[in-house]
Amino acid sequence: MSPKRLEDMYDAVIVGAGAAGLSAALGLLRSPEVAELREQGLDPKILVVSKLQPLRSHTGSAEGGIAASLGNIESDDWHWHYYDTIKGGDWLVDQDAAKLLAEYAPETVINLERQGVAFSRTEDGHIAQRRFGGHTRDFGGEPVKRAAYAADRIGHQILHTLWQQCVAQGVEFAEEWYVTDLVLTEDGSQAAGIVAMDTHTGKIHAIHARNVLIATGGAGRLFHTTSNSWDLTGDGMALALASGLQLEDIEFVQFHPTGLAHTGILLSEAARAEGGILRNAEGEAFMERYAPEHKDLAARDVVSRSIMAEIDAGRGVADPKDPNGPKDCVWLDMTGIDPKRMAQALPQVVETIEQYANLDPAKDLIPIKPTAHYTMGGLPITTDGEVYRWDGTRRTVVDGLFAAGECSCVSVHGANRLGGNSLLDACLFGTRSGRTLAARIVENPAGSPMADDASDELLTAAVDQAADMRNQELDKLLQGSTAAGQSDHGEGDENAYALMARLGSIMERALAVRCSADTIGNALEQLNTSIRPAAEALHAHDKTAAFNQEVTAIWEVRHLIELAEAVLQASDARHESRGSMRRLDFPERDDEHFLAHSMVSADGTVTFKPVIITDYPPKKREY
Amino acid sequence: MVEASNTTVTLQVHRFAPRAERAERARGGSPFARKSSPFGGGSESASRRRPRGKQWVQEYTIPARPEDTILDCLLAIKRTIDPTLAFRYSCGHGMCGSDAVSINGTPTLLCTASIRDWAKQPGALPQVDDEGFRHIGEDESDGGASDDGASLGVIELAPLPGFPPQRDLIADIDPMLNQIRKLTPYLEADGVLATTEEGKVNAFEYLQHPEQLAKYETLSNCIACGVCEGSCPVFAGGDAFIGPAALIWSSRFINDSRDAKTMERMDAIDTADGVAACQSVRACSRHCPRGIDVGEEMWQIVAKVRER
Repeated sequence: MSPKRLEDMYDAVIVGAGAAGLSAALGLLRSPEVAELREQGLDPKILVVSKLQPLRSHTGSAEGGIAASLGNIESDDWHWHYYDTIKGGDWLVDQDAAKLLAEYAPETVINLERQGVAFSRTEDGHIAQRRFGGHTRDFGGEPVKRAAYAADRIGHQILHTLWQQCVAQGVEFAEEWYVTDLVLTEDGSQAAGIVAMDTHTGKIHAIHARNVLIATGGAGRLFHTTSNSWDLTGDGMALALASGLQLEDIEFVQFHPTGLAHTGILLSEAARAEGGILRNAEGEAFMERYAPEHKDLAARDVVSRSIMAEIDAGRGVADPKDPNGPKDCVWLDMTGIDPKRMAQALPQVVETIEQYANLDPAKDLIPIKPTAHYTMGGLPITTDGEVYRWDGTRRTVVDGLFAAGECSCVSVHGANRLGGNSLLDACLFGTRSGRTLAARIVENPAGSPMADDASDELLTAAVDQAADMRNQELDKLLQGSTAAGQSDHGEGDENAYALMARLGSIMERALAVRCSADTIGNALEQLNTSIRPAAEALHAHDKTAAFNQEVTAIWEVRHLIELAEAVLQASDARHESRGSMRRLDFPERDDEHFLAHSMVSADGTVTFKPVIITDYPPKKREY
Repeated sequence: MVEASNTTVTLQVHRFAPRAERAERARGGSPFARKSSPFGGGSESASRRRPRGKQWVQEYTIPARPEDTILDCLLAIKRTIDPTLAFRYSCGHGMCGSDAVSINGTPTLLCTASIRDWAKQPGALPQVDDEGFRHIGEDESDGGASDDGASLGVIELAPLPGFPPQRDLIADIDPMLNQIRKLTPYLEADGVLATTEEGKVNAFEYLQHPEQLAKYETLSNCIACGVCEGSCPVFAGGDAFIGPAALIWSSRFINDSRDAKTMERMDAIDTADGVAACQSVRACSRHCPRGIDVGEEMWQIVAKVRER
């Protein structure tokens, strides 16, 4: 679906149509402010732009659950959830945000149900809940059943339900449009709109908007082995860097412990919640040694590091598909789970294993390996979803620029996200940012005849100029195809897809689960001497602009490269180990110097910003 | 990984490159250009169904192992041979529903189809017999492939049938999504949402017992990939039919104990192009990636509509 005609000026453009983007659209349209506007006969002019048809968004792949202290199975308290989130994030969590996350989680989950999510149920008809790593009772005590689930397809259920509600609200989408520029006014103080290519026609469009919300998801494609879809190329984060903004805590990348061997495809944490046990080459259930209390359900970073430690100690196993390959996996033993329960509670996990490993989890041991899963960091936002700059002492909000979901960092996940908290973050803070947007829009709606459009000209000019430049670049990329014939066998003719694969291998060697100054320096060197020159030489191999996927891939890999540089620089600046980040050369957490959020900009400058600590002072993190 | 094997597979891809739009618009100014062609069609919608451009079949032979998926192979082609080949893909493990195409004439997903299951030795591709039938399915001649570490066989790929091709393996599935949209595909209950005050929520979830959930849970797993539609001879054949996917979505809400619009929903599909158009061919069930027995579900909803 594409708009028949673009508005001259939008009240808001939302980039991305996963849980965060759709929640924002719904939060906006259901707000009292918009209801008031509609009573006056004015409809807000909203457009949701997505590089995918919305139902293809990666939210749909989330499997295990969404956390909320509903207490449907056993007693629970949102304060425990609040504490667990902070502890799980290794105290690099802004506590004002985490408090909102935990306090409003039950409302968020109940409202998802009331909008149509087909949650699994308890016998008495309430939303069913299961255990998830790091979620406890009594501030770090026994594990608690807090993750609300829909078999192992919670993401699919949430994504489809939110899309359905957007259909009910008549939300307009621009589908399979790729955003190439986030445009701010010349002084960088205000959002002006975006530039996007309609991939169906290959045409560049200038989209003017008084407000822009970025909800483009994560950046798993920075790494070779990832659970993320092929589309998670960090576009929103790279757009922010390119427009002169910073990213917060971007060095924290969660590796999910149980990727299916070399495919990277996720096997939900639910597999361990239901009784799956990790074993090394000797058959030992090794998590007992690393996390005596929570064992296989310790926080994800703890489990991933334990797996890598076993592999490093020579107790890894080879992927049975590649028996002579490296011993870089361990076993997931699900044979102890009752087969009936397995079919009922883990259908997706079972299907993935059968389909992609050709194994039977009721009988066979399953090879697993940590897989790049989630970016804790992103565009820095306030708890109302506004993007801001950090100048070393204070925050300055960029007027009309918002972000939500995985591409943003309100800092509820700190240095490591707990399972079940990402869907919650996307839905809850997505909705909140939508409401903030509504309050801004109603003050001066674009469709009002009495509107003050004095500054619109400034916005329009800025976006049009960016679109012109992008058009010229597109022409060049397409025209390059004529010369392709001659240089096809030259080494300068690496295509975007091959380059993305090469970048993924470099980043994986440098940063996966652990890193050091050496691995980071090495990767930066390769990035600058080899990857960047190759990226600049990229061009399309076909001149037809319509559905020219290669053009999109060129922009995607360039986005990944800018983001990779930022991730490496931020990793380099943090001389400690915390949460998902394990520096071999700085193995201890260092609260004295680094209990602080990193803020990195495109030129590689890193500054630090204090953590907001209101209720729970830092403690040692043990499971 | 695909590159590291010592066996190969050949993919025969039906390609299509749309003609640049500019050329067509240049003629748009003439009042005569609108006249219908002497060969019929010529209406706005028919011309949109068949975009003009160049069509050809291209063969790619690449290293592959039997357990690789066809998506793995196409991605390897993009990386190593031909970056211009166009096909939709996203999650790569059968959840997003973006990569439905026709494989050896059968609609299914690229990312769940393995070389082992689909490669045929040359000559074993279904041929039309004297009576005009193509033999597919049962006669799995596996032709002793891969003994000598050579070719695993040939796989034929084309865009999803029943939808206008846009470029190479990309088809326009908007017609399906529009049909889904037409049937109010969202829960209609009291519409009240919860709010929180001082840490307490003021509304609870709608109660639904596991057996009530079981009535529609499978239906709610539909990923709108279009495989059932491309398999349906009525839908893909071009007759007026809202299609199995839209009916599955409608049935999902009709069977949801929380929904208050059951009767209205049944009225909406009790039309000539609704349940009445289903001919119970049941081809729609064969390759549903979510394991929905679409044909059986259609049968159930037809019965339900008739009984009301």
